Amino acid sequence: MNTPDPENPKSIELPEPTGWPIIAAFGLSLMFFGLVTSFFISFVGILVALFGFSGWFLDVFPHPKHIQVPVGAEPKPHTTARSIQFLKIGQRGHRMRIPVEVPPLMAGVKGGIVGGIAMAVLACGWGFFKYGSIWYPVNLLAAAAVPDLAEATVESLKQFHLMGFLVATFSHGAVCIMIGLLYITLLPMLPPKFEWFWGGIMTPLIWSGFLFATIRFVNPTLADHVDWPWFIVCQIAFGMVGGYVVFKEEKVETMQSLTLAARLGIEAQEEHK
Amino acid sequence: MAQEIAIDANYRMPEPVRVGEETGSSTAWIQNLIFTVDHKKLGLMYIGAALLFFAIAGVLAALMRIQLAFPDNRFLSPDVFNESFTMHGTTMVFLVGMPLAFGFANYLVPLMIGARDMAFPRLNAFGFWVFFFSGLFLYFSYFGAPGLYAAGSAPDVGWFAYSPLTMKAFSRGHSTDYWTLSLMLGGIASIATAVNILVTIVCMRCPGMTLGRMPIFVWCMLVLAFLVILAVPCLSACQIMITLDRYIGAKFFDTQAGGDAVLWQHFFWIFGHPEVYILVMPAFAITSEIIPVFSRKPIFGYPMMVAAVVAIAFLSLGVWAHHMFCVGMISLANAFFVTSTLLIAIPTGLKIFNWLATLYGGKLRYELPLVFCLGFLFQFLVSGLTGVMLAVAPFDWQLSDSYFVVAHFHYVLIGGLLFTIFGGIYYWFPKAFGKMPDHKLGMWHFWLFAIGFNLTFMPQHFLGFLGMPRRIYTYQSDRGWDELNLISTIGVLFQAVGILFFAYNLLYSWFRGRKAGDDPWDAWTLEWATTSPPADYNFSKTPVVKSRRPLWDAKHPDDPDWAHE
Amino acid sequence: MSTQTETLADWKLPCQRKLGMFTLIAAESALFAIFVVAYLFYMGKNLNGPYPSEVLHFPWLGSIALFSSSATIWLAERCLHSGNKPGFGLWWGFTIALGAYFIYFTADEWRHLIFEKDLTIATNLFGTTFYSLVGLHAFHVIVGLCLLTGVLVADLRGRLHKDHTPHVEAISYYWHFVDCIWIVVLTVVYIISVRIPQ
Repeated sequence: MNTPDPENPKSIELPEPTGWPIIAAFGLSLMFFGLVTSFFISFVGILVALFGFSGWFLDVFPHPKHIQVPVGAEPKPHTTARSIQFLKIGQRGHRMRIPVEVPPLMAGVKGGIVGGIAMAVLACGWGFFKYGSIWYPVNLLAAAAVPDLAEATVESLKQFHLMGFLVATFSHGAVCIMIGLLYITLLPMLPPKFEWFWGGIMTPLIWSGFLFATIRFVNPTLADHVDWPWFIVCQIAFGMVGGYVVFKEEKVETMQSLTLAARLGIEAQEEHK
Repeated sequence: MAQEIAIDANYRMPEPVRVGEETGSSTAWIQNLIFTVDHKKLGLMYIGAALLFFAIAGVLAALMRIQLAFPDNRFLSPDVFNESFTMHGTTMVFLVGMPLAFGFANYLVPLMIGARDMAFPRLNAFGFWVFFFSGLFLYFSYFGAPGLYAAGSAPDVGWFAYSPLTMKAFSRGHSTDYWTLSLMLGGIASIATAVNILVTIVCMRCPGMTLGRMPIFVWCMLVLAFLVILAVPCLSACQIMITLDRYIGAKFFDTQAGGDAVLWQHFFWIFGHPEVYILVMPAFAITSEIIPVFSRKPIFGYPMMVAAVVAIAFLSLGVWAHHMFCVGMISLANAFFVTSTLLIAIPTGLKIFNWLATLYGGKLRYELPLVFCLGFLFQFLVSGLTGVMLAVAPFDWQLSDSYFVVAHFHYVLIGGLLFTIFGGIYYWFPKAFGKMPDHKLGMWHFWLFAIGFNLTFMPQHFLGFLGMPRRIYTYQSDRGWDELNLISTIGVLFQAVGILFFAYNLLYSWFRGRKAGDDPWDAWTLEWATTSPPADYNFSKTPVVKSRRPLWDAKHPDDPDWAHE
Repeated sequence: MSTQTETLADWKLPCQRKLGMFTLIAAESALFAIFVVAYLFYMGKNLNGPYPSEVLHFPWLGSIALFSSSATIWLAERCLHSGNKPGFGLWWGFTIALGAYFIYFTADEWRHLIFEKDLTIATNLFGTTFYSLVGLHAFHVIVGLCLLTGVLVADLRGRLHKDHTPHVEAISYYWHFVDCIWIVVLTVVYIISVRIPQ
């Protein structure tokens, strides 16, 4: 690469075109081909390959042969008709929607707990009015994890069952808090009008549909005894109450609008665009 | 002619002329191809040869589908059917999939890293010719291999040539030797080319092109070369073993002497599973280039994409026995291979999400390359999901060696790989030939091929559930497979017409296409920084790179990428 | 342009020849790994003799020759770097002699096994795996010897230039690799398998 003027070379060194590789390749192929035809062909193949490889060797030894290729037309300078438009965070009318402000984490926990209580009250009320026992829905929920309850009769499901109560309270509480936390990211992403409809009714309906499809695998006892309309009412109660609690909380700015360095807690050196 | 333009006193060869610019004699054109050591010509030759073999293997597939269209069909005899699926599989894997990858790598890697040629240009030519001769060698078996009835006979032991089918007692004549020896020859070519690609990428990057700034295409090709170097020698070792068995009576897979046929399966799949990722790597590579350019956004999560490819490569070396759940391994081995296989879904899923995130919020331009990549995303997702299903050993016990498996891997290799290859050909066609591919013809190609492909292979999932085994040459009509098989065959018709549109589009655009200019897609990687088609020396001045998108920096000096990276 | 030249001057990449040789070595290692696994897998599964413990003797002389050739090639390389041309030729020639002795030793061992112990590649699994593994290694030694001889001829004819140093180094890496493989083969064949009961 000893071109006299490296910035504007008139010609450029490139490897010389050569026929030796194809001869060597052909010889090698004949060597293999002889094994399925006649060893005489293998012998010829060895000779051809030796011929090819030695020619190749003399091509690159002591120094690889080169040709000088004259430099032709230069490529045009790079331009584009497109200009840069920076995406603004949360820009309206753009498909990318990133919530700029979300309710704080504790709002999700609070909403989950309040919504969960509303749901539990309604569900127990259903148990009390229909079966005369507020423990009935509690035991049904716990049947997923407590083998005694899974095989119990309707009568025994109406009795208070300590293990069932603990399991049901724990699982109901955990799921409610998680859904509440989900709400704090979900609600700001929903369409800006009729939030109560999307968050309070549609989301519980979709969730109920998901449970309707899968509950048999998780909790066959519940699937056998559940009253779907009332179940959906309970879900909507959760959505409306929990959603309201989450929604009315004062929002905080997300870190989406901050630079990576700021998000990592590093004092940023560069100016953020 | 040569004396007039000779610059050097020792100069003997005719002046290199670019492919497509030659108007004089066709002999000069062919001579040019034979003598060339230029990575761009060799890349195009790889792709051209691969498309040729693709057409042949496609015809074999069509013949098999015609045979299976109706129950109790007598279109192909059982022998011919066995030969057809063996040759179809072998050709598609070794003479189409890998050469296409090498062709794209050859053409694009030096351009993308700002180099003038590959590290070992003569070795590159050698690799191509050995591959090409190995293909001719394999197909000569149709004429030359004395088979059972003293007629020419192609290999008929399946593309993975399970022992003891390959033993002298069960495969008389030389047909199996054609499979073994031609692929051993092809293996030499693959290793030579892979060494070349790896060395080129590591040692020939232009100034500033650090590993973290390489296009993801180049990263994928680096990983591909790494996998070829580790996996293909394993196949060569297996092939040396059966050659020794068949020629001089060694006992590697001879069960009567205590040899073990299952060992062949282990050895073959130690090669075979990384091979699957070798085949699909160009899909990852091409998609990662096309999606950003056509959504006008930089690739989402570049470091993650690179890490995912590297993770896939490493994991793929430890999953081979998921092809062998039905063999009856100990349950610990089953559990290990189930787990490792399921793990692969994580980096692969990550890639899909990153491509989606790149598209999300982008200003999409539905040009041909993007359209094919979108098809890829959907179909590759299907293949990934069926792959996860098959990774679960008990599920696999039900469906192994059924048409469900056939559908799964055709969704990987056609729905995944081939769609992006088409997209890639349309994307870089303007660079290679200076002409734009025709959009309308391309859309016909896309829709015909997409409909035909799904029509052919979607029903095969259900055929698998209904118990139709692979590799049967016919079936009785009371199995409930009739309609689905017929639909599947009708799909082939659509695919064939789609391919004709593709071929016509290439020829039409080559001769009549609109002039493309240097940078028709407003792209960002270095191959678009030079002329279309590129000069023999690629770049008159070695480029200097400061970010992952060097052309973005050149086009937008007010807001270059290197200010942010 | 000034910034550009600075970058160009600072831009250092690994040597192509050496990396090419390393990748080739990686490929060869994969090839050997399969044969080693086959040997280990079939160890002790012979249905008939002769067995390794009956016919194999530890190849002291051959191994010493091959291992010491690694040292001599290293000395030759050191001479090359310090510009000591006669020293280079001497040590390089010595390496070839040691390698050639190893091949002679292996050939003699095979003659002994084939004609006196009736062990061929078709006799049993031990014969199959033994001859293929050791034969593959011997084949690599022969290829290495051809490369070494080529370098020696070029050197003796005075056509070895300074810019060939990476080539010579790459060839010496190959030779070291062949040596390392022999350590594995020696361990597997002559140390482990002769202790496996039949």
